[in-house]
Amino acid sequence: MKPPPFYYAAPATVSEALSLLSEHRESEPRVLAGGQSLVPLMNFRLAHPTHVIDLNKVTELSFLRSDDGRLTIGAMTRQAVLERSAEVRLGAPLLAEAAGMIAHEPIRHRGTVGGSIAHADPAAELPAVALAMDAELVAASGRGERVIPATEFFLGPFTTALEPDEVLTEVRLPAAPGTGYAFVEFSRTHGNFALVGVAALLELDGDRIGRAALALCGAGPCALRVTEAERLLAGASPDGDAIGEAAEVAAAGLTPSSDAHASGEFKLRLTRIYVQRALETALARAQDRR
Amino acid sequence: MSVTETPKVASPERKWVGKSVRRVEDPKFLRGRGGYVGDFTLPGMLHVAVLRSPHAHARIVSIDVGQARSLRGVAAVLTGADAAQLCDPMPDFGPDPASHTWRCLAHEKVRYVGEGVAVVVAESRYVAEDAVELIDVEYEPLPVLVDPAEALVPGAPLVHEPLGSNVAYDRTFDFGEVERDFAEADLVVRDRLRWRRSGGQPLETVGSVADYDPASGMMTVHTNSVSFTSYLFMVAGTLKIPANKLDINPLPAGGSFGSKLFATKPTVIAGMCSKVTGRPVSYIEDRVDNISNCDHHGSDRLYDVELAVMRDGTLRGIKIDTIDDYGAYIQFGVGHHGNALAQVVGPYRIGSVQYRVRAVLTNKNQQGAYRGFGSEVNNWMLECVVDKAAREIGMDPVELRRKNFIQPDQFPYFIPTGNVYDSGDYDAVLDKALELGEYRHWRSEQQRLAAQGRHIGIGLITCQERSVFSATEFWFWFDEPGAPVTSMPESVTLKIDATGGVTATLYSCAFWGNSPETMVAQLAAEEFDVDPHDVTVAYQGTNQGLPATGPGGSRTTVMLAGAVKGASGKIKDKARQAAAHMLEISPDDLEWVGGGYQVKGLPDRRKSLAEIAVALHLFKHGFPDEVESGLEESKVYDHPYTTMPSDDRSDLGVFYPFMGHACHVAVVEVDVQTGQVTFPHYAAVHDCGTLVNPRSLAGHIVGGTAQGIGTALYEELVYDAEGQLVTSSFMDYLMPSAMEVPEIAIGHHETPSPYTSHGIKGGGEGGRMMAPAAINVAVNDALAPLGARITTLPMTPERILAAIDAANARPAG
Ligand SMILES: Cc1cc2nc3c(=O)[nH]c(=O)nc-3n(C[C@H](O)[C@H](O)[C@H](O)COP(=O)(O)OP(=O)(O)OC[C@H]3O[C@@H](n4cnc5c(N)ncnc54)[C@H](O)[C@@H]3O)c2cc1C
Repeated sequence: MKPPPFYYAAPATVSEALSLLSEHRESEPRVLAGGQSLVPLMNFRLAHPTHVIDLNKVTELSFLRSDDGRLTIGAMTRQAVLERSAEVRLGAPLLAEAAGMIAHEPIRHRGTVGGSIAHADPAAELPAVALAMDAELVAASGRGERVIPATEFFLGPFTTALEPDEVLTEVRLPAAPGTGYAFVEFSRTHGNFALVGVAALLELDGDRIGRAALALCGAGPCALRVTEAERLLAGASPDGDAIGEAAEVAAAGLTPSSDAHASGEFKLRLTRIYVQRALETALARAQDRR
Repeated sequence: MSVTETPKVASPERKWVGKSVRRVEDPKFLRGRGGYVGDFTLPGMLHVAVLRSPHAHARIVSIDVGQARSLRGVAAVLTGADAAQLCDPMPDFGPDPASHTWRCLAHEKVRYVGEGVAVVVAESRYVAEDAVELIDVEYEPLPVLVDPAEALVPGAPLVHEPLGSNVAYDRTFDFGEVERDFAEADLVVRDRLRWRRSGGQPLETVGSVADYDPASGMMTVHTNSVSFTSYLFMVAGTLKIPANKLDINPLPAGGSFGSKLFATKPTVIAGMCSKVTGRPVSYIEDRVDNISNCDHHGSDRLYDVELAVMRDGTLRGIKIDTIDDYGAYIQFGVGHHGNALAQVVGPYRIGSVQYRVRAVLTNKNQQGAYRGFGSEVNNWMLECVVDKAAREIGMDPVELRRKNFIQPDQFPYFIPTGNVYDSGDYDAVLDKALELGEYRHWRSEQQRLAAQGRHIGIGLITCQERSVFSATEFWFWFDEPGAPVTSMPESVTLKIDATGGVTATLYSCAFWGNSPETMVAQLAAEEFDVDPHDVTVAYQGTNQGLPATGPGGSRTTVMLAGAVKGASGKIKDKARQAAAHMLEISPDDLEWVGGGYQVKGLPDRRKSLAEIAVALHLFKHGFPDEVESGLEESKVYDHPYTTMPSDDRSDLGVFYPFMGHACHVAVVEVDVQTGQVTFPHYAAVHDCGTLVNPRSLAGHIVGGTAQGIGTALYEELVYDAEGQLVTSSFMDYLMPSAMEVPEIAIGHHETPSPYTSHGIKGGGEGGRMMAPAAINVAVNDALAPLGARITTLPMTPERILAAIDAANARPAG
């Protein structure tokens, strides 16, 4: 469990990192963030980067800004920061709740927001949160900067819209005041990846459900938004029936894959149960907030 | 986390035995100065990486090591064919090693995924792994055997052709009047149970540094596995060196749980590579090596059980038919079933036993030792079927157990297999467990919460914890060889230096996560009235060592206690003679008081141990001629109570006599939507005879219970249909963490053994010997209202849901 040889560089700025990436684009460069996914992959010799470009000295990527409820989070911000930050707890409580479910505390102190999103593990929490919150993801390269909506970012297992020479620099989250939220998941043991996780946001409009946003992780090839269930909820009366139906609809058509921890069939069953549990919690919180 | 009740001091004369003193091992490990094998280095040391087989079963057609050999920094590349020239087969206690031969690297064919095919020796582990990737092996895949039932079918592919079948062992034993008991029974309760393979997962893997000196022919080894010291001549045989040229020195181990018991393959590989390169060589398994190739997977059994029961709850007889999937080799034979037979009837007066064991070979890594060594599986099986019997006759499960308990006045009690239970008080343990387990409270909570649709289950089990094995259990399976009883010695040397300081030397017991040093320090402190933290504990390499066996079968503390007692006795005899001479009085007029000898009734006429010691060390000429300088004695302590099996093996003799006992109460809640299990409460009461250190024993109980939770709910070494090990790292092999393990209320009871020093019984495997049974019974209790019952461990959420689904699918009625 030792990696094969590689070149290593630790730039201090984003622009240095970008020029290293473009300089070595003919071989296989990779940026190193928290290393909590990349280093095990290298040790198992499942990833063979020729050049490792360490972002840990790029301090300009480690920040958290809040203006008018809109949050901007630098890619190198550690996951543990999300749990503790008052801005996140207030402005994006869904994100704070989900962050607490990533791995174990020591891993969250190394693992980064950008690393989790760029790595795009199908079972990771943050991609689902990014989808549910309509996040915007900012990518930079020698060619400039572009903003990618979360809905266009996650393409498949460990596959995103990022080009090989691009670095994810920040995550922008719109303000979502007065919304009920819930992140719930099923994992076999604490700290393990979820088999299925659900991010839910729910606004009330009078006696009815207004807007609902629902995203899943673990239930498909990558994190996904379940828009049909959202449409079903919008305008519905917030009783058990709508939520139960939404749970059915959310799971319909999904074919989660089987792995060492669970069969696809079991994950589908969990999807129904956890969508229901997420919506119930989000609804209760929305009602509380009034 | 645990709440430990402090037991009353058992015997007021004891000063240190029975006290929760701070462990003497802790300071060095907490400071990072333990000296683990990963920190051990010698000048010029090379490193080994093993090329593991990607196939479960395949013929090795060819191996090309040319590229690997020419990589810079590579010192040697050895294939299985080379190893077969350099080494003899591995030490093997199996039924017929000539027909299921085990070698340190696969030769001609591979028999499981992960089996070593070749090794690279290089300047660093990094380079060694780079070179491993350059070895080109051509395999011809063979049909794979994963299911033991398929391996039994005539005509099945063979794991070992010379064996002629995949059954390494098959025999049925009858103990007592089995047929009579079944004929007279009111009913026979039947069960089919499946215990799937898991294994001990030490934080530190097995590692060995070997240094062969071609000039002297001496092979010096430093390793974290040295038990079975008395059997290391077999390792010398494998390495083709004289036994007196092998010196194995113990390093502390970051955990074993059995998995380092006589783990000799890393030493053989490192030794072989050192011989070839003439340089010191380190081989330390990485995690995948350890999980897939450690030779220490746990039991993997299918049971068909029948229990003969009377309507009033009397248990009469039991018929056990078990198939055990041993994997590709069978290094310890069916010794695991000897462990089961030591306590096969549990704490109950079951009068007869039929036991059939079939040891089946398949394409998996072989079994070794895991906390309980197969007896924990029997405990689980027995408690599951006893619990089922209670349901079938409509009797309270606690009362049924109590009714069948062996009573305190019946000890020593010979069970049908011939083994003896030395002592016990099972009612007392049960009563304490009912209290600590808040049994009545949880029964009423169960009802209250059922009304809210919640499923609480309570599992109360009463199990044995055999300790101090005699190796007869490894050979009584065969009519031949009829060896005499095996002595399984353990030795201690005690030295009193010129200032009266005490040093104890051990000969087998590397620190394995247990507390051998604390035990010896406390026991020696008891003898000499010193503070245990002032006792120095040292380890001796095997070449200059005394006979020893090592930790295994919960023997360490009992055997060390016997050895310490023996060595101290010799020292005290000499000291008494010396003190008598110094005080000019008859030795008979002296008594040992407060760390010295004094004249009976005259407390100011005394010599402290330090005064005696300095005289004996420096001023020998002041003593009579026959007195020699110094104050150092050794004791080789042999198994105190073991007897021969009968010729026809209807009586296996005494082989595991010091019988601990425990009652666990698991309270679970099952989420019947997801199959997830949580623990609102857990209590464990153990009786391991006289306690040496209640807190360190509590540590064993908590750790063992945590492992039992793993066995019950999480841990499984999964081989898929192609024989691929799906769970080859901790990403996929799930273990409970502090978050999954509940706070455990621990109680101790003390029924001293009449046969051991201080009345101590072993307690190192407790917890894991009980928890799987308690949790399974609890889950079944929670599922009972749904008509569901689960009979396979681990009880994964999917298996629990499948049991519920199956119950729902059955027509009601
Ligand atoms: C035991 C364990 C349990 C875990 N459990 C969970 C869990 O439950 N949920 C979960 O979500 N994660 C879990 N993880 C993964 C963890 O959260 C990682 O932190 C995360 O997946 C990757 O973040 P990182 O900062 O460590 O990235 P790294 O490992 O450094 O990088 C991961 C990948 O992303 C790329 N990358 C990183 N940053 C950028 C960037 N700014 N721009 C472009 N590419 C980038 C890297 O090149 C690499 O390919 C677990 C990890 C472990 C070891």
